[in-house]
Amino acid sequence: MNANSQPRAERPLRVAVVGCGKIADGHVDEIRKMPEQAQTVAVCDREGLMAEQLAARFAIPAHYDDFGQMLRQERPDVVHITTPPQSHAPLALQALAAGCHVYVEKPFALDRAQAAQIVAAAEEHGRKLTVGYSSLFDPPVLRLRELVAAGVVGEVLHVESFYGYNLDGPFGKALLADPGHWVRGLPGQLFHNIIDHMLNKIVEFVPDDAPQVTAIARALRPARAGDGRDTLMDELRVLVRGRRVTGYGTFSSHIRPAAQFVRVYGTRNIAHVDLLARTVTLESSPKLPSAIGRLVPPFEQAGALLGQGLSNIGRFLRSDFQYFAGMRRLMSLFYDSILDDGPLPIAYRDILRISQIMDDIFSQIRAQNAVAEGST
Amino acid sequence: MTALVTGATGFLGGAFVARLLAHGNGRIRCLVRPGSRTTVLERLAAGQSRVSLLRGSLASPDAAQVALDDADVVYHLAAGTGGAAADLFLNTVVASKNLLEAMVLRRARLPKVVLVSSFGVYGTAGLARGALIDEDTPLEPNPERRDLYSQAKLRQERLFREYRKRHGFPLVVLRPGVIYGPGGTPISSRVGLPVPGLFLHLGGRNLLPLTFVDNCAEAIVVAGEQSATDGQTYNVVDDDLPTCADYLRHYQREVRTLRTLRVPYPFTQALSWLCERYYQYSQGQLPAFFTSYRSATTWAGNRFSNAKLKSLGWRPIVSTEEGLRRTFAVLCNSAPAANAAG
Repeated sequence: MNANSQPRAERPLRVAVVGCGKIADGHVDEIRKMPEQAQTVAVCDREGLMAEQLAARFAIPAHYDDFGQMLRQERPDVVHITTPPQSHAPLALQALAAGCHVYVEKPFALDRAQAAQIVAAAEEHGRKLTVGYSSLFDPPVLRLRELVAAGVVGEVLHVESFYGYNLDGPFGKALLADPGHWVRGLPGQLFHNIIDHMLNKIVEFVPDDAPQVTAIARALRPARAGDGRDTLMDELRVLVRGRRVTGYGTFSSHIRPAAQFVRVYGTRNIAHVDLLARTVTLESSPKLPSAIGRLVPPFEQAGALLGQGLSNIGRFLRSDFQYFAGMRRLMSLFYDSILDDGPLPIAYRDILRISQIMDDIFSQIRAQNAVAEGST
Repeated sequence: MTALVTGATGFLGGAFVARLLAHGNGRIRCLVRPGSRTTVLERLAAGQSRVSLLRGSLASPDAAQVALDDADVVYHLAAGTGGAAADLFLNTVVASKNLLEAMVLRRARLPKVVLVSSFGVYGTAGLARGALIDEDTPLEPNPERRDLYSQAKLRQERLFREYRKRHGFPLVVLRPGVIYGPGGTPISSRVGLPVPGLFLHLGGRNLLPLTFVDNCAEAIVVAGEQSATDGQTYNVVDDDLPTCADYLRHYQREVRTLRTLRVPYPFTQALSWLCERYYQYSQGQLPAFFTSYRSATTWAGNRFSNAKLKSLGWRPIVSTEEGLRRTFAVLCNSAPAANAAG
């Protein structure tokens, strides 16, 4: 049967998750908080024990170690792909061909060509597709979007996106120790696994189809292993140049605190979004003249932060201060788009533009490495 | 005689290799993960040829296949001790499966396996306070209500028994209580938990099922050496167990003073009930630090038997008094920190 002729999915959507690593916990946990929209009917991992443990902990009725078998037996409406990125494209294509809508965890694919192939398959099969850019739906980013839409920031001319990362965590330690870690097999290695979160905030405000990209990368940690493991890059700076808007991205494994923030520079105000503290503040031009004008802004800033802090306390008291708030919102919007045949939460164009920028960054890093190797 | 040891770079692993060296004259091959610190093992291996290190991971059966080679006995100590659920299961259960797969793929003559499990597999929540925990105590009937470590160890034990049933290799399981010693966790969570500026003393007069790291290592060696242990399980706890209050008093006298708050068990249960309700109400906005079930398994209080282990001829080689003295002496000279893990 042609997927386009399939009947529209009904509430609750039957969701299956493939890839039972750490992030799958977050997916399953968030899905069970929206029982009217969706329920997880099965999980799959090629390592059956991993699928079994996830199913056992979340009381999921079925688990599989064969993706094709899960698709045939469970006939899910939606598949969430939470495997390492190397398998995203084949799994997404298989799920789309089976008539499923697909949510792919970031990074979407290994390169733009793969990304385009997945998007084309979704369009061909008439199924919906999204990617786990969950931080775009965290409450402070939603607030930022409101401020920009209301004209408070003015015309956006520049965006700064900072993503701090801690390589001392369990994931980082495993990556640094293991020369065969799957992250090392990605075209952009460590950056490839993370920088969607940095780039998607920039791309949102840089409207160009193909902005110019300049990237520099380094490995700043001390060499410990004495072999190829030490060459893993851990610092990245990216300049994105659109026709009118520019963006600057920083990925750092060493700057402390490992902050995550976005600054949006407009013709009226500068908006600062702290993604960890979940605050949104505005920096405005002084309204009063001379020295008096310089006295006031700190108090304005303090007042704004106090207001944000109180607002966050209010959210906490209403149990609306969840770690995966953005993921839940994104899932909910995606499920709505399936159930109501409405607009997608993330445009395919943005997925493809981010894939292209990542390709550009990684090819420049490879070129820099080749030059560096040639000069030694 | 060749022994393969996994987890040799861990706290117990180093002590275990030292005890294995002290016994017999067989070769000891340690499978160590790339990136693991091997200072202790290299010191043990220096000047003699019995100990060798092989770099490899149990993330697949490949390294284990090489490491198994001519091994007569496998001491499987490797396990995850923290991190996310997926990490714990990968490092404990999937790693075990890869070891077992390597065994059955490569070996015509399967080695004996000595598995180091944990007290955490017992289903103690339903027992009366003060009930005796021995090898006949039922396993946890509700794994999903337990902490992730216990869940992983339960599945790991079951996996080994499944493979043994299918492939017929000799298997002995050891279940240590709280392993302590120089370099180990300063204060077990059975004694209590640190919160900012305060130590919640939750264990009270409960017996603390300690086993000094060298005593535990000795028990593993003894169980591995004896053929009569096939199919058996042995709990590992020392003699003369202190109460949690004794331990804390001793720690404060020898290491450093803590601001403690004694929380009687009924209050712990009330707190756990509140935590659980809030977790449900808030849809997990904060983790369920305490649950009634987990509190019952940790702080209700039990008695412990090492009679079965002693029937093998094992005796603690370090008394509890001496073990505590050595542990606290090292802690006293290092940066003091009350760690809740363990």
